Amino acid sequence: MSRHVVVLEVNGRRHRLRVESHERLLDLLRDRLGYTSVKEGCGTGDCGACAVLVNGRIVNSCLMLAVQARNAKVETLEGLGTANKLHPLQKAFIRNSAFQCGFCASGVMLSAKDLLQRNQNPSRDEIRKAISGVICRCTGYMKMVDAIEEAAAEMRGETVG
Amino acid sequence: MLRYLDKNRQATVIAGGTDLVPRIERRIVRPKLLVDISGLHELRYIESQGDEIKLGALTTISDLAESSALAAHHEVFRQVSYKFGAPPIRNVGTVGGNVAAASSSEDLIPVFLALDANVQLSSINGKRSLPLQEFLLGKRKVDLRQGELISEISFRKMTESSCCSFEKVGRRNSLIIALVSSAVHLDLDPKQMRINQIRAAFNRVRGKIPERAHLMEETLHGKQLNDETVNEGLRALESELMLTTDYRASADYRKRAARICFEKALTHCAAKIIG
Repeated sequence: MSRHVVVLEVNGRRHRLRVESHERLLDLLRDRLGYTSVKEGCGTGDCGACAVLVNGRIVNSCLMLAVQARNAKVETLEGLGTANKLHPLQKAFIRNSAFQCGFCASGVMLSAKDLLQRNQNPSRDEIRKAISGVICRCTGYMKMVDAIEEAAAEMRGETVG
Repeated sequence: MLRYLDKNRQATVIAGGTDLVPRIERRIVRPKLLVDISGLHELRYIESQGDEIKLGALTTISDLAESSALAAHHEVFRQVSYKFGAPPIRNVGTVGGNVAAASSSEDLIPVFLALDANVQLSSINGKRSLPLQEFLLGKRKVDLRQGELISEISFRKMTESSCCSFEKVGRRNSLIIALVSSAVHLDLDPKQMRINQIRAAFNRVRGKIPERAHLMEETLHGKQLNDETVNEGLRALESELMLTTDYRASADYRKRAARICFEKALTHCAAKIIG
């Protein structure tokens, strides 16, 4: 087993860490850096609870080794907005009661962010496809799709809510 | 990199990691040395050259779906991409990794088989190229020699008279291992409705890896495309599919689904060619 020095940026903050070869990005983010929005559900890429943005695209952090994220820009839910200044996605999810337990919240909102960065006016079908990598077992997806549509409208400068 | 792989023969290569990382976690494989190639950007390309399309081994599934070079005549990649895992998998999973994994759950393999694709392998001794069909030796067994790296997948471009289409049946649309999947490549004379060539691959035919349905292909080759010949083809298919029952689905269900997948893909191709 060998150790490697990895430099990466998480939510705009630069970190320099020693990581082990087999360490996953999930372990690094959650256990070592304390970004607890990143959850471990299945650990096999089936549930999306661990999904984060790596260089702007949604990936499962349970399937990526920490060393593979060297020099990457990582974004977790903690980087989306603050308690005083919520991101339009967070506001829309609250308005629409789009979460119950919240375990999938991080993966769903970050998946939506990935989509909205590339498509400002997605159809409901495109939204459903974009969040299809994250499994919700309590709220259901309807309210999430409603919320993402609303957030997209707000981000385009339309008045909502 | 190739020199390193040649010197370190116990090395296991990792790219997207979507297949390998959970296998390491579950201790199914215990690599002594992992070599990460995900940063080799020179192996991430989609090139249109002469009558060929060349895909670098590190091309991701999302790259295929978003490629403008493939959009017009190779919509099969858009079809397969949307049924392949889900966005977080597609953003890192690679073409080379899908081929290397060599199992019936790799959705790209039937497509590449239907396209009669070639696999290029690179080592310090140079390059070697062989048909994907010969590269796949069995479930999780490929003809990859020590020190070799999968570098490229290539296939002939579609023409006015040809089309390739993919169908998949699973319990849901995303994040699902195919119960049955099928890719069909059809070359059809649109005036005479004569089948110049047909290749059809399924995620399983005789064993637990994707293969082509050669008997059905031979039955349909050179024939007129009509209900009668298609039924003849389906009977041939029925006789050569040796599907098994497991906890995912029964052999009978798989057979029926295979038939429907094939018919849908074939109809799609024919409609596209006739226009």
